[in-house]
Amino acid sequence: MSMADTFLRWRYRVIPDHLLGEILAKRWIDNAIPLLILLIVIAAFGFAIPGFFGLSSIANLLRQWGEFSLLVMALMIVMVAGGIDLSVGSTFALGNIVALALLTVGGLPWPLVVVLTMACGAAVGLVNGVLVGYLRLRAFLTTLVTLIIVRAIVDMLLLTYSVSIASTFIDSEAWYFLGEGSIFSLPVSVVVTLVIAITVHIVFSRTRPGWSVLATGGSRRSAHNVGIPVRRVICMTYVVSGTLCALAGVLFASRLGGAGADTGVGLEIAALTAAVLGGNSLGGGRGSAAKAVIGSITVMILVNSLVRMGVNSGANSLLLGLVLLGAVAIDVRFLKNKHKLLSKVYVSPTYATLPTAPATTAPSPYAVNDRLQGVELIGLGEIDGPEDVILDEDDNIYAGNRVGDIIRFLAPDYSRQEIFAHVGGRPLGMAFDRDGALLVCIGGMGLYRVTKDRKVEKLTDETNRSLLSVTDDSRLRLADDLDIAPDGRVFFSEATTRYEMAEWSVDSLESRGNGRIICYDPIRGTTRTVLKGLVFPNGICMANDGQSFYFAETWACRISRYYFDGPRAGEVEVVIPDLPGYPDNINRASDGTYWLALVGMRTPTMDLAMKQPGFRKRMARRIAFDEWLYPNINTGCVVRFDDAGTVVETLWDKKGDNHPMITSMREHKGHLYIGGISNNRIGRLKLEGMDPAWTGPDNYWRKA
Amino acid sequence: MILTRLMDNLTGRGDAAVTVPPLDGALRPNQALDQAPVRLPLAGADCLAVAAGAVHVSSGMALYRLDGVTWSVVRTCEAEITCIAPIGDDALALALASGRVQIHGGQMDGREIATEARCITAMTASGSSLFLANGSATNTTDDWQLDLMQRNSSGSLWQIELTTGEVTRIATDLAWPAGVVSADSGLVVSEAWAHRLTRIDLANPAARETLYPDLAGYPGRITKAPEGYWLAAFAPRSQLVEFVLREPKYRGEMLATIERDFWIAPRLRTGGSFYEPLQGGGVKQLGRLKPWAPTFSAGLCIRLDAAFQPVASLHSRADGQTHGVTSVLEHDGQVFAAARGDGLVIALPAEETRP
Repeated sequence: MSMADTFLRWRYRVIPDHLLGEILAKRWIDNAIPLLILLIVIAAFGFAIPGFFGLSSIANLLRQWGEFSLLVMALMIVMVAGGIDLSVGSTFALGNIVALALLTVGGLPWPLVVVLTMACGAAVGLVNGVLVGYLRLRAFLTTLVTLIIVRAIVDMLLLTYSVSIASTFIDSEAWYFLGEGSIFSLPVSVVVTLVIAITVHIVFSRTRPGWSVLATGGSRRSAHNVGIPVRRVICMTYVVSGTLCALAGVLFASRLGGAGADTGVGLEIAALTAAVLGGNSLGGGRGSAAKAVIGSITVMILVNSLVRMGVNSGANSLLLGLVLLGAVAIDVRFLKNKHKLLSKVYVSPTYATLPTAPATTAPSPYAVNDRLQGVELIGLGEIDGPEDVILDEDDNIYAGNRVGDIIRFLAPDYSRQEIFAHVGGRPLGMAFDRDGALLVCIGGMGLYRVTKDRKVEKLTDETNRSLLSVTDDSRLRLADDLDIAPDGRVFFSEATTRYEMAEWSVDSLESRGNGRIICYDPIRGTTRTVLKGLVFPNGICMANDGQSFYFAETWACRISRYYFDGPRAGEVEVVIPDLPGYPDNINRASDGTYWLALVGMRTPTMDLAMKQPGFRKRMARRIAFDEWLYPNINTGCVVRFDDAGTVVETLWDKKGDNHPMITSMREHKGHLYIGGISNNRIGRLKLEGMDPAWTGPDNYWRKA
Repeated sequence: MILTRLMDNLTGRGDAAVTVPPLDGALRPNQALDQAPVRLPLAGADCLAVAAGAVHVSSGMALYRLDGVTWSVVRTCEAEITCIAPIGDDALALALASGRVQIHGGQMDGREIATEARCITAMTASGSSLFLANGSATNTTDDWQLDLMQRNSSGSLWQIELTTGEVTRIATDLAWPAGVVSADSGLVVSEAWAHRLTRIDLANPAARETLYPDLAGYPGRITKAPEGYWLAAFAPRSQLVEFVLREPKYRGEMLATIERDFWIAPRLRTGGSFYEPLQGGGVKQLGRLKPWAPTFSAGLCIRLDAAFQPVASLHSRADGQTHGVTSVLEHDGQVFAAARGDGLVIALPAEETRP
């Protein structure tokens, strides 16, 4: 290996390129730009205003921020559902005056006042909600009208009560505590806001109502189609918004204790600016409490600092407007281009060198022959992609197809077929358990069992999340092949955690250890990852010792053995390091050896590309998907190897008429049954010199 | 300049773009070559020409004549015949890999002229002159893939004065001139590696005019037809090859360490070995190779009008059996095409090839 190669290998080992794409794929990455803007604002004003970071300055800001942030949160909730609420400022003012009036004129105790005021805000929200949600009026116009009406009500209340409010002293420590007190040296309003922010975050990210709101904003029609009560959801967002605004009004009332005509005027613009600046989409569907918090802090600092710098109020509004314009522009551009950026950086090939491929000419054990010439064809043109084939004790053949069925071909002549079960996903590897139920790995779904009376049951679809992975890898994306240990534990492979099944070729381009092997324990009901960082782990087959299994790593072109029990438990041993092709399923043969399908053959050009990750990365960017260099899966073969890893024989279809690619083969009563994931037939080959009575289920479960 | 190139390399624009023009308009795919009624096997069939009213074809060191539907050897040379061309009505010029040009038939029968060219890809006679296209200054005709991968542009045009035997070079720096035909007062050359037809004025060979830019295949030999010209594109262009051509490191290692048959390069016939590269769309689905699959070989003949613009085309697609057409001509109401990749000559009525 040359210096340059060594360097390249280390560069790709040390720098995890794939993390960049995974981080960009996270939802919280939307917060990156708002956070950057916030940091810039803090740095700029911290530098321009002496004493900006002073205690009194920050305490003052914090108290105001608590109320303002509640308004932004309220607006954000409405925006996420696809609407807009311009009445937040008026409702805030209403909350203020109502709270004061109830306390002074009504003389009610403060907890009741808080509840009643919030109910008042909720009522305003309900009006908005009914008009916008149920009667489907335009949100913008409707809330503009409510803004005016509520403002008028506030003015009328002011006329009636302002004198009595101003002249009455409120004798309640607890009430003043709301506005001026501190909890753990944080102002009460801030604590209230933080509690609400955390609640909103949990609701939006972890609960069904929150998802309904996000779904409604993301696509109203789709949300309706999946059964979300769209109108009610929209109505409720306005109610919540009104309640939060009124709460902010209560806090304000407690802090200042006065009612004026200018309370809350223009607040809706500031709140809107904050919401959009934080990265909440005006179009709906994208928003979070964190975004609202970031946006509100930014605007708060901006407005207050400008005032302190002596900028007059006209210029202040102008600047706020400009910031809003800029934020909207960034919002639109970022949303439009994020997926482009992601598609450019997500695919990240790594350095992968393969051992020299053995020859395929005599005297190599892989020498090309035409022994698959004599296959009989089953279901020609009637089955679409049998990835795996398996036979039961009554000689019926089971095979998955592309539309999510498990097809059963009936013995003895296999001319008749029936849908054994519809599983919905792509059935891949299969195995019979002790009870004769069919266990099947379903791409995109997980590990399932189909009982003898055709009941489809989920065994598992998630495993433990890796501690240090950026993406949530607990869900199974591509369960591939399985086998069952004598004690009933199921070991199955997940080929890749970074791509869906249809994108297998992208994973081949990366050739990183994206896959893993997982163990499902039916007795304890647990699912645990046992081996990680495997290069497209594919076929799995229990060794005859009952303590270990063989597994194939497709893009690494090798077969390894993993000991899960016995004295060597936990060890991985490479058995065949240098296959001339890409291994797929492994299954037992009747004489104690193992059948192995090679789905395709290695090509010198692909092997060379494996050593040049940059070449592959540029190829993925520049060339259309259909034009990519692929592993050659148009020619495959069947290999038989023994426990020592020695290749005993190889079966080829030289012309590739029937079996251009082979993904699985199964020995049963002296015949070999052959499947291919993109083929439209199952091959049946008479084997010379193999036990004519041997069957897989017998061998696994009825041994002496 | 350098900045533009760096930016292009980064973004894949301009010279770094790997786009290939789509087969559309006059080049819309069909299966005309595969459906031709006459299919005459002849291993290595390469260059077609008409002399004395009969179709002749070169294959290896032999010159064949078509009598009805059978081939008969009319001449065997001491070296591989790289191309042939008619002189007048009854004579043929034969270019050999050794650089010699021999005259077969007619008044000058048996005449032989030695040239310095070692890669004569095409010839055309005009008046008493014979014009030669020399594909490359460093490679032979068999090494055409190597010449492409080396991104050479060292081809040249030569003129032989048949009466005196004088040989002169009239143009250089051509990107593998693979076909030549005389038109009006000049020559039209197909520059394969530049994917274009270039017109060269004999009075002023330095002045060149591109007649047909950015072909979807590598243009080869051109022949005069009653209503225009026929152009054989001997291999299709592909995004992957264009990409590899822009990857010096990969290309260098590929040339150095991998057998030529297994390169990522255009070829006259694909599918001979599972060691050949495969592209995504070429994966067999339900036991079939799709006709639209990306491929390194195909069959393509283009009918050009008198201004060298395409009007119609004959195709053999990825799944076809008439790949690597190196020569096409129209004779006696029939269009003949030599598919070297599949070792056969096909013929179909000229009437069917009109748009």
